[in-house]
Amino acid sequence: MLAYLARRIVFGAAVLLGTSLITFSIAFLIPADPAVAMAGAKANPQTLAMIRHQLGLDQPVYIQYAHYLDRALHGDLGRSYIRRESVTHLIVSRFPATAILALSAMALALMLGIAMGLVAAAWRGRALDNVLLVGSLAMVSMPIFWLGTMLLIAVAAVSRTFPLGGYSGFKSLILPTVTLALGSAGYYSRVLHANLSQALDQDYIRAARGKGLSNARVLMKHAMANAMLPLVTLAGLDLASMLSGVVLTETVFNWPGIGRLAFEAVFNLDIPLIMGTVLFSAFLIVIANLLVDILYVWLDPRIRLGEMG
Amino acid sequence: MKRARSRHARRSGVGAAIWMLAAAAMLLAVSGCSREGDGLGLPKGSSVLRLADADDVPTLDPAVGYDTLSWSFEQEIFDTLVRYGDADIELHPDIALSWQSSPDATVFTFHLRKDARFSNGHPVTARDFRYEIERVLSPATRSKGIEYFRSIAGAGDFIAGRTRHVAGIIIPDPYTLVFHLTAPDPLFAHKLAVPFAAAVPRDAVERWGRDFSRHVVGSGPFMLKQWIGGERIVLVKNPWYFVKGLPRIDAIVDQIGVGPELGWLKFEAGQIDILGGIPPAEFPYVMRTPRLRRLTLSQTTISTMYLGMNCQMAPFNDVRVRRAFNYAVNKQKLIAVLNGRGVVARGVMPPNLPGYDPNLRGYAYDPARARRLLEEAKIGPDFHPTLWLRADPTTVILAESIQQDLELVGIHLDLKPVAWGPLLEAIRQPRNVELFLSGWEADFPDPENFLGVLLSKQQWGGNNDTFYSNPRVDELLAQAAPMTNLKKRYALYDQAEKIIVADAPWVFLFHPVSYVIRQPWVHGLVLNPMRPTRFERVWLSPHHE
Repeated sequence: MLAYLARRIVFGAAVLLGTSLITFSIAFLIPADPAVAMAGAKANPQTLAMIRHQLGLDQPVYIQYAHYLDRALHGDLGRSYIRRESVTHLIVSRFPATAILALSAMALALMLGIAMGLVAAAWRGRALDNVLLVGSLAMVSMPIFWLGTMLLIAVAAVSRTFPLGGYSGFKSLILPTVTLALGSAGYYSRVLHANLSQALDQDYIRAARGKGLSNARVLMKHAMANAMLPLVTLAGLDLASMLSGVVLTETVFNWPGIGRLAFEAVFNLDIPLIMGTVLFSAFLIVIANLLVDILYVWLDPRIRLGEMG
Repeated sequence: MKRARSRHARRSGVGAAIWMLAAAAMLLAVSGCSREGDGLGLPKGSSVLRLADADDVPTLDPAVGYDTLSWSFEQEIFDTLVRYGDADIELHPDIALSWQSSPDATVFTFHLRKDARFSNGHPVTARDFRYEIERVLSPATRSKGIEYFRSIAGAGDFIAGRTRHVAGIIIPDPYTLVFHLTAPDPLFAHKLAVPFAAAVPRDAVERWGRDFSRHVVGSGPFMLKQWIGGERIVLVKNPWYFVKGLPRIDAIVDQIGVGPELGWLKFEAGQIDILGGIPPAEFPYVMRTPRLRRLTLSQTTISTMYLGMNCQMAPFNDVRVRRAFNYAVNKQKLIAVLNGRGVVARGVMPPNLPGYDPNLRGYAYDPARARRLLEEAKIGPDFHPTLWLRADPTTVILAESIQQDLELVGIHLDLKPVAWGPLLEAIRQPRNVELFLSGWEADFPDPENFLGVLLSKQQWGGNNDTFYSNPRVDELLAQAAPMTNLKKRYALYDQAEKIIVADAPWVFLFHPVSYVIRQPWVHGLVLNPMRPTRFERVWLSPHHE
C-alpha cells in the first residue's frame, strides 16, 4: 500500500510540475506585457523598462521559471500584477467560500441523485421511472447561468424569500447550492439508475430474492453496494472540480469564491493570479484523484494495487 | 466466510459513508456561513449608503491605484493639497488653504491648514505629502503615477537612488510645501489633485509594508473599517475629518461582485441606494418610465472614443483613406446603439473641456463622399482591414455597427476582439495594428492631456498609437505646453486640433455620457465629468428598506 501511495504521489507531483511548465509557457506566449498590465495604458517606455527589470523579466526564461518554481514550492505563488497582493493569500482567502458552496452542492447532488436513481430503479419501466428520466435530463440540460438568473428573479426578487446574491448567512447559500447541485444530481441519478438496472439482473440478486429478502432490502443492501462504486469516482472528481472554482454560479450569485477570482484574473490578464489559480486547481484534482484511488481500493479489494499503479 | 462478510460490510458501508459525507458537508456549510450573518458593528439607526460594483477594488493604496474604482474610494479616504469640486473641474483647496505659482510656472508654493489630522489622530504636515510623492517616484513602488512627478527638480536623481529626498521638494516649515520644476508646467497644481499626491502617514506605511492597501490610514472624510475581498468594502466616518458636519452619512457599504443585472434586481428591491451601471437591456425602460427617469443623473464625461488608424501603414498613410473612414462611419447610429448615452465627436476634445472649440465641424456622415475618396485612393474590393478592439460586449456591438457602415462603402472589415492588456501591447508596436477602437479619459482638464499626450510625435511608442506625426502640430503643441496665458494657450491648441482633424488620424466617434440611478431617499448626489462621484455631502432621508 505504501509503495502504491508513493507511486501515486510521484505521479501527482509530475502532473503539477507539468501544469506549472504549461501555465508558465502560456504566460510567455500570449502577447501581453506584464509591465503594461502593472503600469497601465499611460505609462511611458522608461517606466515600462524599469518595471520589466524589477520583475526580472529581462532575465532568461529558464531562470525566471526556476525562480517561480522555487517560490511555489515554498508556498509563494507571487504577487498579483493588478492587486499587488500575495496570490497565495488571495487564493486562501477565497477558498472557504468556494469550499462551502462546493461541499453543500455536492451533498445536495448526492442526496438528490441517489434518491432519484434508487426510486427510478425500484420502479423500473413504470411511469415514475419515465418521469424521473425526463426530470433528470432536464436537470442536466439546464445551463447554470440561466437557472441561477431565473431562481434569482423568481425566488429572490419576486417572493423576497432569499437574499439577492452575496455571502451573508445560511439563506444566501441555498440558491447557489441548488443551482450548482441540480445538474450533477441529474447525472448521478442516471448513472446510478443504469448501474442498478444492470446489477438487478445479476444472479446474486436473484439468489437474494430467492432467499426471501424483500425488494427494498435487495436493492439497498445488495444491488447498491456494487452500483455505488462508479459514483464514487464521479463524485470525487466533480468535487475537486467544484473546489477549484465554479465561475458561473459564483458570478451569478455574487459569491466571493475562487472561480470569480480566476475569472477576474483572466479578464485583467493578471498572469501570476492566473498561474496561481490554475496550479491550485491542478493540485486539488491530483489530491482528489489520489483519494478516489485509495477509496476505490478500500471499497473493493478485488482491485489489485499492482494493477492500478 | 469471514472474509466475505468483511467485504460485504465494506461495500454496504459505501452508501452510509456518502450519506454521512453529505450530512457533514451540509453541517460544515451551515457553520461556515454563519460567520457572515453578522452586521457591520455600526450603532443602530446609522445612516448607511449602499453601493454595488461588479469588480473588486484593485487597491486602496494611493501610490498604486490608477483606475476609476480605486480612485473612487481613495478620494474618500485620503486628502490631497488641492481637489476638484464635487461637480466641476476647477481646483479648490483641500489640505492647502492657498497656493501660488511663479509667473513662469516653475515654482509652486502651498500653504497647508493646521487642523487636518489622519484617522489615527496624527497631524497632517508637508512631510506627509513629500513622503507620498517620493513613494510614487521610488522604483520599488512600481507606481503608475511616476510620470506625474518626473518634472520636479531632482526627481531623476531620486529615482536613480542618488539622493535620499527629491531636491526640488522644499519644506520651509511643517505647513508650507514648495515644488521646484525643471521646466514650466502650468498644469502642475492639477497633478497634485490626483490620489498619487495624497497625504499618507509614513508610520502606517512602514508598519504594513506591501499590505498597506488593506490597512490604509488617511485624513479624508471616511476611513476603512472592513474589506473582505470579493465581498464588500465598508468605510465609516472619520471622526478627525477637518470639515465640520461632513460626511453627512455614517458609513458606505460597497457590495463587490454585483454585475449590472444583479445590481438592477437589488436596486429594484431597494437593497442598494445608488446604481452606476444600469444594464443596457433595462436602460430604455428606465428612460421611458417617469418614476425611474426622475431618479437618474447624467453627465457628459471628459473623454473621447475613437477609431485609431495607423498612419505609418498603407493604405492609412493616405489621408484620403482616413477621411473616407470618417465620412463612412455613422456616429449618430453608434449613439443610438448606446441608447443615447453619448455625444457625437467632431474632433479630439470633449465639449466640457476648457479650450473646446464648438465651431469645429468634423466629419458628417456621408457615405457617397467616402466612396469617392476611396476610389481616388484606388482602394478596391479586395481591401479587408482588421479592426482590433477590446473584447467586451458593448465595444463589440459598436464595432459591428462600424463594420456595417464600412460594408456600405465597399470595405469588408474583420473584427479582432482581444483582452485589454494584449490590445494595449499590440497597438503600441509600430506597423503592427492598422485599425483599433480605443478611448481616452482626461487626467487633467486641459487640451494638452488629449492633443499632446495622444498625438505628438514625442509619444510614439507611448500613447500616440496611430503613429501620427505632423511637424506643424508638434511645433504648436510645444509652444502651447508651457504657456500660462490661457487664452493664447487654448488658441494654439485650437489651431493644432484643426490640423489634426483635417489629417484625420482617428475616426472621431463620440464622448460617452455616464448615467446613475439613485433611490428617492438619496440626496445631495452630483456627478463630476472627470472624477468619480464623491459621497461626503450625500445624505439619506428616512426610508423603509
